[in-house]
Formats: sequence, structure tokens, C-alpha cells
Amino acid sequence: MSLTGERLRAPVNVTWEITDRCNLGCRHCLSADLRRGSLGELDHRRCEALIDELAAIPVFQINFGGGEPFLRPDFMDILRYAQRKGIVTCVSTNGTLLTPSLVDELAGMELLFLQVSVDGASPATNDAIRGEGTFDRILEGVSLLAERSFPDLSLNMVVTSVNFHEIAEFHQLAASYGARTRLSRFRPSGDGSRMWDEYRLSREQLAWLAHFLGGHPEVLTGDSFFSLTNADRKDQGLRTCGAARMTCAVGPDGSVFPCAFLCEPAFLAGNVTDEPLASIFAHAPIMQVLRGLEVEPCHTCDRFALCNGGCPAVAYFVTESLGLPDPECLRVAIPRIEVA
Amino acid sequence: MKTYHLSPWARARQEEFGLLFYDTRSTTMTFVRSGDHLLAPPVDDRTRPLGIVTHSPAEELRVTRVLDGLEVKGLVVAS
Repeated sequence: MSLTGERLRAPVNVTWEITDRCNLGCRHCLSADLRRGSLGELDHRRCEALIDELAAIPVFQINFGGGEPFLRPDFMDILRYAQRKGIVTCVSTNGTLLTPSLVDELAGMELLFLQVSVDGASPATNDAIRGEGTFDRILEGVSLLAERSFPDLSLNMVVTSVNFHEIAEFHQLAASYGARTRLSRFRPSGDGSRMWDEYRLSREQLAWLAHFLGGHPEVLTGDSFFSLTNADRKDQGLRTCGAARMTCAVGPDGSVFPCAFLCEPAFLAGNVTDEPLASIFAHAPIMQVLRGLEVEPCHTCDRFALCNGGCPAVAYFVTESLGLPDPECLRVAIPRIEVA
Repeated sequence: MKTYHLSPWARARQEEFGLLFYDTRSTTMTFVRSGDHLLAPPVDDRTRPLGIVTHSPAEELRVTRVLDGLEVKGLVVAS
């Protein structure tokens, strides 16, 4: 898959934080600031109108997140509506609200991918991040999905210094439920910014993770680790930031941002209640800034073709600049370690 | 020349460089630098035929090769 040389006229997928309500209080929540500054949620009619708009573009995939999407009473109707329009729906859930009847409904849906968040392979590790007792509650929900052989299930772990030592066990845990492993990058946005120093990976851990990912092509990353991409994975997924190029994010109130990790006032591109999403994506100044971003210090790096400068969101939150290299780039973080 | 339709699980969108395909089974994308030679089916056309525009036998041969490759990937069906 190539993106660096092509310019798309509209997003291919949209991350939609459909609610700011949540029943957990995860310590690294990237949406925490959205929740605190909540301006409400789009009503059901407006949600359907947005889906109509996305289908007409056409956007191929909606990544529903939150908050916890299943806390929204009309979420299943919204999901069905998007699927009827032929849009692939990916739902990121904390898994604690999955009941037998809900899982029966989900198992009967086409065009649905489910991603359940678990931040460790043991109760002690997960619960330290996601809250007391959550590990067992999450896995009860996962068990229900596994019993129904839900086909497109992944367990997602945001990799931090707290759960890093359980990556291999986590991979086994996911497999034991017939689920794929998804490892996501910890980013310093939302409450993640407040946990950055405590949770970020060390240089040695970053190097180990790059090696692990290179040896496990079956592990999904949601394209979040291209800063660590080894030559082994160079043809898997994106090798550049997709923000404002192939994706964008919509907040609960319809606010549009370049990506889910840049949901800050400084990156507000518009609101779907005021202007069509396609127009915001094409014309909003901040979208154009992101599309035109050149991380010049990286141009002479031998890894540039593998990462194109890395994640602007991490660079922005750590260095307060969009034009600097990703601080967790292997060359920046570990200049003396040879990376394939 | 054969006619080609999108597979039931495939989606396609017109872009400046050509066609962008999306496979709903894997959520993977395929960029096809086909310029103006291939046209995405209208969103509301249930049969989902791909438009094919060629001006010479050589162009037709090149486009056919591209379409055959897409058929191998399961993104289009020839008829």
C-alpha cells in the first residue's frame, strides 16, 4: 500500500468518537480532554446525516470510538445504518458492556470489526491502567464473542512501560480467544500527556518492540508504529502519517480534526454541523498544514523511506513543533543501535 | 473486451491518479494508477460495472492486464 506519492480527494476512513461518555477512567485515555470540554453529542438524525454524507463521498470505513460507544443508547442503530450504506464499521470498545444479547446482535452483523481494549495479560497489569476489576470484566465480554466465533475480533493493548513485559503473553492471550493481537502506540495526548513520563517506553524497549513487530507480521498495529517500522514490515500498512491525507477524526459534537491524536483546539478544522466533512477535509487550513508537512531534519536519514518523519502528534506534544522528527523514531531514540 | 464489475466485497473510488480500491474483508487498499482509463461505478448502480476507456489496442492491452491483476486479488469479476 502506498500513500506518500498520492493525494486523496477525501478521507478513506474516519475515526468517529461518537460519545464522550465512558464507564471507565483509564489513566492514559487520549479522549479525556474531549470529554472534559464536551459540547454534547450529535443527535441521532444528525448522525444518520453524517453517515449519508460519508457514504456519498464515499468513505469506506468508520472507526467508532469514544468514550465507550455502547453507552450511547442508539449506537446499534447507528452501526446498522452505516452497514446498510455499505460502510465497513470498526468499533473500539472497552468490552465491559458486552452482554449475551448484545453479542448475539453483533455476531449477526456484516461489515463489522471489533477491537476490545485490554492493557495487559494479567489482572494486576491491566487493572493498574484501566481500573480495579476491569481485566475480568473485559474478558467476560471477550469470552462471549469467542463462544459465538465472532470472526473479526482483535484485542488491543496500548504498549506502555507498565505492560511492556507482557507483550508475548498478551499475544498468546488473544490467540486463546481466537482474536488477533493489536498493539497500539501510547501517545502523549489527552490524559496520555500527563502519563507520558511514567508510561513511555525506554530506548531499549522501543528497539525490542521494533524487533518483535518485525518478527510477527500477524500482529496488527493500526499503522501506529511506522516510526519503528523495520524493513520486515515495510509493505504492511502505511509508512507515513495518514492524518489529513487518508483519515480524519470527528468528535462527539461534530468537531473535525486531522486525526484522533490531534483533537485539540489548535487543530480544530471545522464542524460537520456547519460544513460538509469533505469540504472541511479539503479546505480547512489545518488540514492543508498537515498535508504539506515536511519533517526536513529527517530527509537525509536512511530510514526516511520507512517512516517519513514519524507521528506529528507525538512530535507536537513532546516538542511543541509539528516539523520536528518523531521523538520515538529509532534513529532519534537509539542512534547507535543498528536497525534492519 | 470483457466487462468487469466490482466484487461484492470490494469498493472503489475515483481519484486523480486513477482508482482506489478497498477490500471490505481485510480493510486493505489498492492504489491503481489507471489515470482516466478506469472509472468507478456510480454509487447507486447495483450492478457496479467499471467504466473502461481506451483509445488504441495497446491501451486496451495494458488496461486488460491491470484488470486481470485486480481479478486475481478478488477485487473485480470479469464477465
